[in-house]
Amino acid sequence: MTVNDLNSIQKRMEKEKGLGQNGINARVTVHMGTCGLASGAQKVMDALLDQMRKSGRSDISVTTSGCIGLCSQEPLVTVEVAGKEPVIYRQVDDPKMREIFKGHLLHGEVQSEDALCRGKAVNEDPMPSDSGNGIPHVSQLPFFALQQSWVLRNRGLIDPESIDDYVGRGGYQAAGKALLEMSAQEVISEVKVSGLRGRGGGGFPTGIKWEFCATSKGEVKYVLCNADEGDPGAFMDRSVMEADPHAVLEGMIIAAKAINSHQGYIYCRAEYPLAVKRLNLAIEQAREYGLLGKDILGSGFDFDIEVYQGAGAFVCGEETALMGSIEGRRGMPRPRPPFPAVSGLWKKPTVLNNVETYASIPQIILQGGEDYAKIGTESSKGTKVFALTGKVKNIGLVEVPMGTSLGQIIFDIGDGVPGGKKFKAVQLGGPSGGCIPAEHLNTPTDYEAITKAGAIMGSGGMIVMDDDTCMVDMARYFMDFCQDESCGKCSPCRIGTKRMLEILQRICKGEGKEGDIELLEDLAQTIKDSALCGLGQTAPNPILSTIRYFRHEYESHISDKHCSAAVCSALFKSPCQHTCPVGMDIPSYVALIRAGRIDDAYKILKRTNPFPSVCGRVCGHTCQMKCRRGQLDEPVAIMHLKRFITDHAKRPRGGVLPTTRKEKIAIVGAGPSGLTAALELRRRGYAVTVFEELHEAGGMLRWGIPAYRLPREQLDQEIQEILDTGVELRTHTRVGKDLPFEDLERDFDFIYLAAGAHKSLPLNIPGEDAEGVIGAVEFLRAYNLGKEVKVGKHVAVIGGGNSAIDTARTALRLGAKKVTIYYRRERKDMPAQEWEIRAAEEEGVRMMVLVAPVRIITQYGKATRLELTQMRLDQFDESGRKQPKPILGSEFTEKAETVISAISQKADLDFLSKRDGIEIAGSRVKVDKYFRTTHPEVWAGGDMVTGPAMVIDAIRAGQEAASAIDATIREAKGERPWVAPEEERIDIPVEVEEETVEQPQTSMLEVSPSLRRKDFREVELGYTLEMAMAEARRCMRCDANVENRSH
Amino acid sequence: MDHECLCEKQAAVDEFTPEQWRLIDEVIEKFKDKPGALIPVLEEVQGIAGYLPESVQRRVASGLSLPLSQVYGVTTFYSFFTMKPRGRHQIRVCLGTACHVRGAKRNLDHLMEAFKLKPGECTEDRNFSLDVVRCLGACGLAPVMVVDEDTHKQVKEAKLDQIMKVYGDGSNPSEG
Repeated sequence: MTVNDLNSIQKRMEKEKGLGQNGINARVTVHMGTCGLASGAQKVMDALLDQMRKSGRSDISVTTSGCIGLCSQEPLVTVEVAGKEPVIYRQVDDPKMREIFKGHLLHGEVQSEDALCRGKAVNEDPMPSDSGNGIPHVSQLPFFALQQSWVLRNRGLIDPESIDDYVGRGGYQAAGKALLEMSAQEVISEVKVSGLRGRGGGGFPTGIKWEFCATSKGEVKYVLCNADEGDPGAFMDRSVMEADPHAVLEGMIIAAKAINSHQGYIYCRAEYPLAVKRLNLAIEQAREYGLLGKDILGSGFDFDIEVYQGAGAFVCGEETALMGSIEGRRGMPRPRPPFPAVSGLWKKPTVLNNVETYASIPQIILQGGEDYAKIGTESSKGTKVFALTGKVKNIGLVEVPMGTSLGQIIFDIGDGVPGGKKFKAVQLGGPSGGCIPAEHLNTPTDYEAITKAGAIMGSGGMIVMDDDTCMVDMARYFMDFCQDESCGKCSPCRIGTKRMLEILQRICKGEGKEGDIELLEDLAQTIKDSALCGLGQTAPNPILSTIRYFRHEYESHISDKHCSAAVCSALFKSPCQHTCPVGMDIPSYVALIRAGRIDDAYKILKRTNPFPSVCGRVCGHTCQMKCRRGQLDEPVAIMHLKRFITDHAKRPRGGVLPTTRKEKIAIVGAGPSGLTAALELRRRGYAVTVFEELHEAGGMLRWGIPAYRLPREQLDQEIQEILDTGVELRTHTRVGKDLPFEDLERDFDFIYLAAGAHKSLPLNIPGEDAEGVIGAVEFLRAYNLGKEVKVGKHVAVIGGGNSAIDTARTALRLGAKKVTIYYRRERKDMPAQEWEIRAAEEEGVRMMVLVAPVRIITQYGKATRLELTQMRLDQFDESGRKQPKPILGSEFTEKAETVISAISQKADLDFLSKRDGIEIAGSRVKVDKYFRTTHPEVWAGGDMVTGPAMVIDAIRAGQEAASAIDATIREAKGERPWVAPEEERIDIPVEVEEETVEQPQTSMLEVSPSLRRKDFREVELGYTLEMAMAEARRCMRCDANVENRSH
Repeated sequence: MDHECLCEKQAAVDEFTPEQWRLIDEVIEKFKDKPGALIPVLEEVQGIAGYLPESVQRRVASGLSLPLSQVYGVTTFYSFFTMKPRGRHQIRVCLGTACHVRGAKRNLDHLMEAFKLKPGECTEDRNFSLDVVRCLGACGLAPVMVVDEDTHKQVKEAKLDQIMKVYGDGSNPSEG
């Protein structure tokens, strides 16, 4: 085989691949990598071949290729018809393949519903001008458009088991050039100019490594390929070997030329049987063509390669351990120096590089190192292949120029986090790496930049995590892995990883101690400094990195025995209960509904929540976000079930509770937090007086939340039950105005501040002082107070939270003709609950996103129009969302006689002047973890401490503060702590479904949008008994397995 | 890593058929003169015998002229080699990072409970064995479980029992 022979093959293949010639008019490629096969690609191929036989057509070519990188859409099939654009079909199965064959191939009709895009994965064709029946072109899909194929240049285009296909794409030309036209030094030079750095994770400049080895003395030298991709979550090398094995071989031939080696080995892990098979086949084919063996391409240069299979040891990815394994020994690393370049395999000079590094080489030789160096950043040249997995929509294999930001990869290419969850962190570099949180999404993929952020580039595994991931558990997971894979040779790693693992396991089991975090940091540093090889030296990285960014999670596991992700199951009975701020016993009351015991279920509710009817209607139900059922189909509708109970149970009224103590407590604010604190203090026997500025108790529940979400009768009943215990309520009394704060200090022993956040933030734009401009809270309060509220024909609501939605829907009911919500980010970023947004849209509220107000245009002092600017999304901000920036010159105006600011609220802290000794930060009262302010007799909680939050958070604050006040009083007097009176024993039935059948959440009955927008009647009608019991049966009783948990 | 002392559990030499011993000897012969071939030999021999008890290790050691301690050392170092028999149906749960983040541990706990097995063990009747794999590289399908040749993708804990029913009680190796 000579270069001329290669050229002839290439020309022949180019002709063959062209359609409309040689009697081939169409080609169907079924992409078959490991994941494609696991998803059923073989069945698709079988169906295709069957259809081919039935059709009797001989002008259609059927072929295969490796995967094209879009794992989440497997199996994928590309259909090309002569003269027409190729179409890639996604999630193809046997029936779809047959339809595609008949429709697209036999009748020329593209099956649009199943199509992913037009064009091919490696898009070398210019963008066509036609619109393509609504199917996007591949260059319009961010997943493909933002990639740059260097290593993966043949993706989807060649059959990995055909050497001719590879040669047809210019394969082995680089080897020919290196062997016949270049000297070893020239090859090394070219690689040095390219700036290529080792892609296995070390990032060592490849050209320099080759140079060291080339200058080492010795006749026998080895070229080794590290294909032991052991990082869990990384499959870049597997994909390259399965899809384009010859690229690796060619790279190794060129390396052999550079260092003058005549034998190479590829050490491939045994977990990749398809890769091993394809490599062996490729080597056989290359030998047949004289591209391996003696006198390659007539150059006089000999080189051969053998595949060596691993046997399941992560440490064998470490270079000296790898060599030990090839030598037939236990894979234990040895100290360096001497370095492999001087003394490696069988003590001979050896170059060891990663699969991706070798696969990058042929194009560097053909196109020149300078071309490669044009891509990437100053210190990190070229492209990098990443395996993007975990909680991301477009799971797949992506190749991007170095310098692309993590945020672009995760959110643009990966399309963000699925299921409406929030991004938490991304793990880079596997068990040797670290996690990078939302604040650093702008970090470019550059070796040094990533190291600065506390992680490492690693081999390319990129695991995205959301708020269902516990970072302490992840640290434990990685340490468990390293401890298991530790070879045992050196004490720091063998013993150190075990000790660190024990500490982490204790923490995850709820047995964490003060000082554990510092101990972990100490151990980590010691192990890093003294371990023999990379495994030990980097094993502590995930722990250091999670402590750096998520120390509060460790602390919460240790001090509060709380796992916010609801993962560490030893810390809780069920994730729903654990996530609820007041720990409502959800599994129990759901089980009681299932058993038809509604009255008992109500008793369970009241044990932890004085406002179950309210919460059953308006809570943000974070419990549902952690419901395990949600991982099967949809979460259990816990909130609707809670409401069902309060609608149908017998609700016995209690009487006055005795006052057994002489201390008097004052509470400022009769909202949910203040009233809950009042109840808890009454139960403990204290005299309580609640001061309320307005004429009725309820706070935001009455003045903010509209009646169509929370009927007044329900609210009144729950408030009255609290007042009935003997709470003194003084309405029409504003502390600071009607009553000086000093009077409270004088007349009461202790004070709980819970005045909420009732001041809307201003928009800070010109025209804000005009008539018709008002804050959301003020608007809703005015209406709820019964005042006459005029709304213009056109109402503009600025904001995206629940207040904005409540305001918009109220304005509609008050007679506005057109209500529009203007939000500056994207719809998915709106803080309001999704079902609220949907309900508003159904009622006719218009949503406009990516816009922000600029000024209010007025006439005679009244608002007439609102001027807005369009926004574009820029880089990521600290919240992990893209920052909106105005597009200059895009201003436009809309009619608006009423403009409502619903961007946020803050507390009105005028009544607390500095000398009261109560420290304030921003517009929030500062408190310690027991809700105590800097004034020893004053506690505070709810929105005035946290800013706007959920009702249940305010309730919790009330409970905690009351408990803390009582504990403080008793401790000061040397009394024993309060013991709650014993509760009636309620047996909870344990019944779980035998078989779990997928079934969505039972839908809530609602008044139709056209009817309900006319008045303030309750929109949601509630479940019937059948609906409630059916929904309760969906609960999987996570708490029932507690005894059997093998943590 | 748990392994018993060799003295305690020795598989009888007649656990394997003469045909198996012949095949084993063939493998040893094939690689005899290749330096460092111990690992490929053990891989192929395990493919024949199913596992590598002391009797098999002794055969390999004497055939390759290596000390038994070296063969034992290599066998116990690499997780692919096992000195315990595998079941007719081998269940392998991937605990790679992507699978972990998608709930693989709960799947493993469920299987451990259902089959009363710890990873690395097999049932009394040798029908099922359970193993943990660190990463199969099929992260796009997380969480992944492989039973024999079948790769099960996106395995949900609530569906595990139904998935495993396909393999029956395990006594028929061709089932599933």
